[in-house]
Amino acid sequence: MRKFLLIAASIFILSCEMDINPDLGEAQRVLVVDAWINDKPEPQNIFISRSQPYFDNSFPEKVPGATVTVFNELGAQFDFIENDSAYTWVSPDGTSFGNPDSFYTLTVNLEGEDYSSFAYMGPVPPIDSIKYSLREPEFGIDEEYYLAEFVSRDIVGEGNTYWIKAWKNGQLLNKPSEINIAFDAGFSAGGVVDGKVFIQPIQSGINPFDEVPDSPGEFVPPFLPDDSVYVELLSIDIQAFFFLNETAIQTNRAGGFAALFAVPLANVPSNISNIDPNSEAQVVGFFQVSSVSGLGRKLDEEAVEEAQLNAQNN
Amino acid sequence: MKFILLSAILMASLCLQAQETKTVSGYIKDGSNGETLIGATVLIKELGTGNISNVYGFYSITVPEGDYTIEFSYVGFETTEQEISLQQNVRLDIELGTDSQELEAVVVSAEKEDANITSVEMSTAVLDVKSITKLPAFAGEVDIIKSIQLLPGVSTVGEGASGFNVRGGGVGQNLVLLDEAPVYQTSHMFGFFSVFNPDAVKDIKLYKGGIPAKYGGRLSSILDIRMKEGNSKEFDIAGGIGTVFSRLSVEGPMIKDKASFIVAGRRSYIDILARPFTDVLSEGGAGLYFYDLTAKANYNINEKNRVYVSGYFGRDVFKFDARQGFNWGNRTTTVRWNHLFSDKFFSNFTAFYSNYDYAFAFGENDRDKFEWSSNIITYDFKPEFAYFLNPSNELTFGAEALLYQFKPANAVGVSDGETTDISLDEKYALEISAYFGNDQKVTSNLTAQYGLRLSTFNYFGGTKYSYDTAVPGERRDVLSTEEFDKWESIENFMNLEPRLSLNYQLNPVSSVKASYNRMYQYIHLISNTVAATPIDVWQPSTNNLRPQEGNQVATGYFRNFKNNTYETSVETYYKWNANQVDYVDGADVLINEFLEGELLSGKGRAYGLEVYIKKNKGKFTGWTSYTLGKSELLVDGINYGSDLVNRKGSWYPTRYDQRHNLKITTNYQLTERLNVSGVFTYLTGTPTTFPTDRFYIQGMVIPLNDNARNNIRIPDYHRLDLSLTIENLRKKKPNRKVEDSLVISLYNVYAKENPFSIYFSQGQERVPTDTPVDTFAKQVAILGTIVPAVSYNFKF
Repeated sequence: MRKFLLIAASIFILSCEMDINPDLGEAQRVLVVDAWINDKPEPQNIFISRSQPYFDNSFPEKVPGATVTVFNELGAQFDFIENDSAYTWVSPDGTSFGNPDSFYTLTVNLEGEDYSSFAYMGPVPPIDSIKYSLREPEFGIDEEYYLAEFVSRDIVGEGNTYWIKAWKNGQLLNKPSEINIAFDAGFSAGGVVDGKVFIQPIQSGINPFDEVPDSPGEFVPPFLPDDSVYVELLSIDIQAFFFLNETAIQTNRAGGFAALFAVPLANVPSNISNIDPNSEAQVVGFFQVSSVSGLGRKLDEEAVEEAQLNAQNN
Repeated sequence: MKFILLSAILMASLCLQAQETKTVSGYIKDGSNGETLIGATVLIKELGTGNISNVYGFYSITVPEGDYTIEFSYVGFETTEQEISLQQNVRLDIELGTDSQELEAVVVSAEKEDANITSVEMSTAVLDVKSITKLPAFAGEVDIIKSIQLLPGVSTVGEGASGFNVRGGGVGQNLVLLDEAPVYQTSHMFGFFSVFNPDAVKDIKLYKGGIPAKYGGRLSSILDIRMKEGNSKEFDIAGGIGTVFSRLSVEGPMIKDKASFIVAGRRSYIDILARPFTDVLSEGGAGLYFYDLTAKANYNINEKNRVYVSGYFGRDVFKFDARQGFNWGNRTTTVRWNHLFSDKFFSNFTAFYSNYDYAFAFGENDRDKFEWSSNIITYDFKPEFAYFLNPSNELTFGAEALLYQFKPANAVGVSDGETTDISLDEKYALEISAYFGNDQKVTSNLTAQYGLRLSTFNYFGGTKYSYDTAVPGERRDVLSTEEFDKWESIENFMNLEPRLSLNYQLNPVSSVKASYNRMYQYIHLISNTVAATPIDVWQPSTNNLRPQEGNQVATGYFRNFKNNTYETSVETYYKWNANQVDYVDGADVLINEFLEGELLSGKGRAYGLEVYIKKNKGKFTGWTSYTLGKSELLVDGINYGSDLVNRKGSWYPTRYDQRHNLKITTNYQLTERLNVSGVFTYLTGTPTTFPTDRFYIQGMVIPLNDNARNNIRIPDYHRLDLSLTIENLRKKKPNRKVEDSLVISLYNVYAKENPFSIYFSQGQERVPTDTPVDTFAKQVAILGTIVPAVSYNFKF
């Protein structure tokens, strides 16, 4: 789709855009809970802030004074302690947070209001390998380049959902277009891809395509020798899958000719709510507990040779 | 049952009347090429009564025995009178000669001059292909879909949007018929060009309201396009060389005056022209082009039987390289047989096949690829009958059986050589309907057209899904599934669709009209993007998705001035619709087995006022159409504001709601060979949804809205187009019939960057995780410049 839109955009060079500054009315300043924690052996952070006016281009400030607690299904309590920027849980004994295939509850108490959320922590498969393949120059990349792919197999059983994060040379691929999620080994529910190797667009959804500054239509090669990629596979629950799916839709607005394919702006679904539905104090945000597996690989001499050999054989 | 009963009444009346009256009937044709003329007027002068030819050019009038003068007339043709002594039934086929007088430069309709006053039809428009060729057009190419947008009540959300909107209805609520077969996608290259080749089109008629009973299946409008039959007298080759594409058509007799054919093709070359501007297309087999081929043949077996075969094949191709790309296209085939049971009993039997499909292919080799295609296939059989009972009653009745085959996704992915098939099951449905109608002259001033359509829809075979009930606006989950045999019914619908139009003629130059129609639509265009696109899919009504119901009342006042030099009309309409389709936020509508869980249902309403003023005669001609309109939806779970508990929706404007829609079309004949034309368009900006806030989740900056939909409008749209037509570049020689013309057009003369949409987003560039993300609003203009074009057209 990316290339398709690129070509379409190149043809309809007549399309154009301009910045505008419409009056969006008064901001709602809603409470925001950003609670994505995982089983990596490191401190776990929950961020509490307020929404900002849409054109306010700063980091939001932490809302102080909240009591933030997570419970597992056996009733064990994990206290997240307020610090300068977040509310943090540090393992008392060096073990990591959570166990796959269990449920967690988040409660936040702030200014007399109680907010709560519920999440399922699913299992995650290992990443078996990372492969590089050699590509001829094409589509605005005028030198030979490499594409990376991770190889992993969805856990058997319908309805496992994942978020795939990737880093190139230590930098997170965090563009809205780079949100890469999987339902079993495919894009959506249906079951036929259960237990399979992740389908091709997901496998190769770990490559950055960045335009060369001031050269529209020209792209930086995703990978060249000596670059490296690191991939993380996070288990997410079905609500989080829909949340990320919708976030990708709502934040990835390519503009230009792609505006034809845009869907209307709408709120992404939150999984956190005020336990008093009639309360005026609204909240948005998401609570999630993930299992994580990861693997990295440098495009070293061995990987280059392997890619070149494969290119010859094809 | 009603149908049989009515047929019986009809037969009875046939016997009763046969004694005293005689019938004159036949075909009316263009003398120069043998094309039948649709809507030509036949008048028995002594009785002041008459009829008009039907879509096959057939007319029939039954009157008492006697001697009569019959007048045949059609705009642009010499009026012909014929004396007949009607002692027995007379077959009278007439060929009209072209008017020796200079034709008006631009005529919207080719009907009788005061047809707008006398006809019972309202809310309809007929376009004459000859006249639209002189209007300025995008890239200089005559475009049927763009031309109908110059009429009141018809609009689009902007350049590049597929299809058109009629009286506040959606793109998927129009039924577009090409020689009876539905064309599901009317656009080439998204919305920039339409799929119909004007060289092969004879007649275009748009029904916005007062829709006759013979049509059904869509809520908003019927666009009935009839192809030419082909010159039955001599060979014609016509064509054009334009900026974007070239056209060529060949037509001629196979057996003189008995059988003829037409073949017309177009091919774009924007990919070739765009190469200097972008190197994307010059590498590795990439391409972007479209083509279409229209063909038709007919054979006049004898006086009572005539057969037609017609077909359309069109395709758009976007290729990224030799292996990867995207393409879409329509294919239709229609076979028709006109049979005269008697001089006053006309019938037509139609069978057609229509297939719309699109396909994507990604992946550089066979071990890693993703291929996905989608189709909607329609098979149809449709007998139609017209019984010309007497000059005061013309009965029509018939039936239609439509078999739909939906292939929403045929999708296969291969990853490292491992194949996964994520195709969705095919779906089947059968739509059967029967109708009867009568065009009745009740008194000398009052004409009525009324009818009833009974439509049924049967969704059968495959999996029946049952969904839970969710909070309004939220995705519903599957509770259970049940398998059905191939022809086993899953869900059935049956509905009655009454239709009524009235014309009360106040005096020879003015009339008032009113109409009511109810329509049911059983298949739904699933499209949650800003504009309809070629990758939208069609979905049948099921146990989870009710048929759409539409009701419309319209009233109108029609008045002509100065001997029909000026035609004016004012119409109002009010529409109320049920079971309108909307989508949960973030709906996943492609390759989703559980699509029905993503759909919401609500009410719709639209109302408006249409004003139309047209100057028909003189050097200066043209028309102005103005529409004041409103189109809204009410869906629980959308636009619920602060009602977070029940999420009860309130009315919100549709994406294609436009308050004001003004089109001014002018044409000035400078000299015999020079013609200038201009079109000015003004449209209220369409609604869009704004965020108020933004918030961070895991470094992602997400917009937040106060649960309002379409709460603000993009700025207004206005545009001026001009064109100059030079006829007969090479002087005509007496024995050569070469005609040619050069059309120079300027689209968007003052280069207005008309907004198509506004979007709120962060940039496309990568922001390091320790830097705050900038979010902004951008206004997109799909076309921000003047587009000049030249096209050369010829015919010999």
